[in-house]
Amino acid sequence: MARILYIEDDREIGSWVEQDLKRRGYEVDWLTSGDGAVERVADADIVILDVMLPGLDGFTVGQRLKKASPQTPILLLSARTAVDDKLQGLQFADDYLTKPFHPDELAARIEVLLRRYGGKAESRRLRLGHLDVDPDGHLVVDRRTGEEIVLTGKQLQIFMYLAKHPNRILTKEQIYEAVWGEPYFEGDKTLHVHIRHLREKIEEDPGAPAIIETIRGIGYRVKA
Amino acid sequence: MSGRFRSLFGRLKLKHSLLNQYLLIILLAIVLVPVMFPLSITVVYLLMPPEDLGGEEIYQFGAEMEKMWHNEARQLDGASAEEIDARLIRLKEKYEEASMYWVDGQGRTRLRLPDTLDVPERWTPAFTVRFMKERYDGDPFTVVAFIGGKEEAGFMVFELPRSEMTTRGQQIWEKRDTVLIMTTLSVIVLFLFVSWIFFYRIRRRLLRLQQAMTKPSPHGIPSPTVVHKPDEIGKLEQAFNTMIGELEAGRRREREEERLRRSLIANLSHDLRTPLTAIRGHVYSLQEEPLSEKGRQSLALIDRKVGYLGQLIDNLMSYTLLAAGKYPYRPERTDMVRLLRTVCANWYPAFENEGFEIELELPERGFAWEVDPAWFERVMDNLLQNVLRHAKTGNYLAVRAFRQDGAGVIELEDRGPGMNGVSGDKGAGIGLTIVALMLKEMKLDWDIISGSGGTVIRIRGLIQI
Repeated sequence: MARILYIEDDREIGSWVEQDLKRRGYEVDWLTSGDGAVERVADADIVILDVMLPGLDGFTVGQRLKKASPQTPILLLSARTAVDDKLQGLQFADDYLTKPFHPDELAARIEVLLRRYGGKAESRRLRLGHLDVDPDGHLVVDRRTGEEIVLTGKQLQIFMYLAKHPNRILTKEQIYEAVWGEPYFEGDKTLHVHIRHLREKIEEDPGAPAIIETIRGIGYRVKA
Repeated sequence: MSGRFRSLFGRLKLKHSLLNQYLLIILLAIVLVPVMFPLSITVVYLLMPPEDLGGEEIYQFGAEMEKMWHNEARQLDGASAEEIDARLIRLKEKYEEASMYWVDGQGRTRLRLPDTLDVPERWTPAFTVRFMKERYDGDPFTVVAFIGGKEEAGFMVFELPRSEMTTRGQQIWEKRDTVLIMTTLSVIVLFLFVSWIFFYRIRRRLLRLQQAMTKPSPHGIPSPTVVHKPDEIGKLEQAFNTMIGELEAGRRREREEERLRRSLIANLSHDLRTPLTAIRGHVYSLQEEPLSEKGRQSLALIDRKVGYLGQLIDNLMSYTLLAAGKYPYRPERTDMVRLLRTVCANWYPAFENEGFEIELELPERGFAWEVDPAWFERVMDNLLQNVLRHAKTGNYLAVRAFRQDGAGVIELEDRGPGMNGVSGDKGAGIGLTIVALMLKEMKLDWDIISGSGGTVIRIRGLIQI
């Protein structure tokens, strides 16, 4: 069970979110101010932070939390205009949600962050179609046969990058630059070729891919 | 005396006026010419070594020498030839520059001092007459005296080149034209030099001031300059410093107002959104309760309106900042296809959820515009938000990028009811106003073609190479 450190000054919103998250099965530690947050961050798997805290500014609290525990993801809840927040907020925040947010969306973002950072105790196995994928162990197993699917270095890197961002559409540039570590050049077919070979290994029918989805004109997506 | 002089200076305010300083220089130059002339003559007189001037004291006065010679001749009355010779030799020792000789009663030239003197051995009456004619007021200065005052004893002659007789004063007086020209020239040269220094220093100070004015400090306002002198330029420097002070105060005020405005907007935004969040929370809780279909629809509507209000607040805040020119703008060369791809990747799921047919035609070879990526993202967000909200009935979205006539074009197409048509939600106004303001600032052209069959929005901009 993931532990959430939730910092929110508004009692009405705070109690509602706390209840909602508890109902979804999280353990919630709710503080109404930034005092004492730094001491508790070590026990948390994720921090949800409202930036308009009384006294200490949410940005200051966020920076302190990130410094104290860099491995804990921070989700920023903001009521400010996007202008200010986009400039200084995302320096330390891992994700960002503007009020009035929808509880389902909050839960979805928490899930994504937890998965990306690897919740502290949880096993990190993803079920993608007929595959079991362990992004940390760089392991891809065909669940039907129990056999590991051997991928080349680049194929594995591409697949793991997609698997770490499930349900997100990643552009060609993003994938190329994350895997190759150099700027993507327009018209480069390298990624396309690698994806085709990757699909030949992991898809049941490479002609109608079910695991790696092509979003025409944009990039690729792995649906969890 | 000195006190009165100082008070005169004070009245002229020399230290305070470059004009008066320069007038003083001109005045000094004018006064200096007549003063300098006698002064320079005196100086030349005092400085010139006496040898160069010739004319020792004893040769200065012809009358004295004449008197002396006649006196000597009278004293030689009845003297023998040897005595006369001895006397002349003695005199020659005294008057070294002079020539002397004597002629006896028979007209024969006797002792010549010096020996080389060009005098005939015998004096004919004709020669004597010519000699007397020539020498009268001639050069050399000549004195003829009868020995002993008697004609039969012969006469003695004293000759001295006139040049030996001129005094220093006379010599300088002869050079007065040269001295006058030299003095005038040197006064003019001095005047020009002093003027040059005067204006050179003014120029240097002005250049310093100009540098101070054009070299801004890190915060954009030039630093104050040090005022050294209380004259016209000093006053200019003072005015400059005052202006900088006012500029800085203005900048401070502006920053303070800016800070207040931002915090006001932030607080207002917070105060508006917090209750909205609470409303949404309660709507959500209500949805968990057993409700009739009608109640469920009402809740869905409330939820949608809450989301819409949130965006409206955001747009309102953005518009306030944008209209005041306070929305940070950082243009850079941006690969537009790449940016479009990122924006579309973010929006794709939302359209997918609504069941839109999505068509993306982004070329492999893109183009670049000089825009602020965050701004353009905002423009696309607002346009796509509008499509999602108002064109749901068409269930179609196309995003295209292409080159046309050397320009880059980004095109958005939907099959909604059109901008004048009926849509579930109203109030696309402020969102589009922000789009218009931002596109204008980024120097991009845009047009909307909207009909009952749908809407096409085209953004067109110069391609950056």
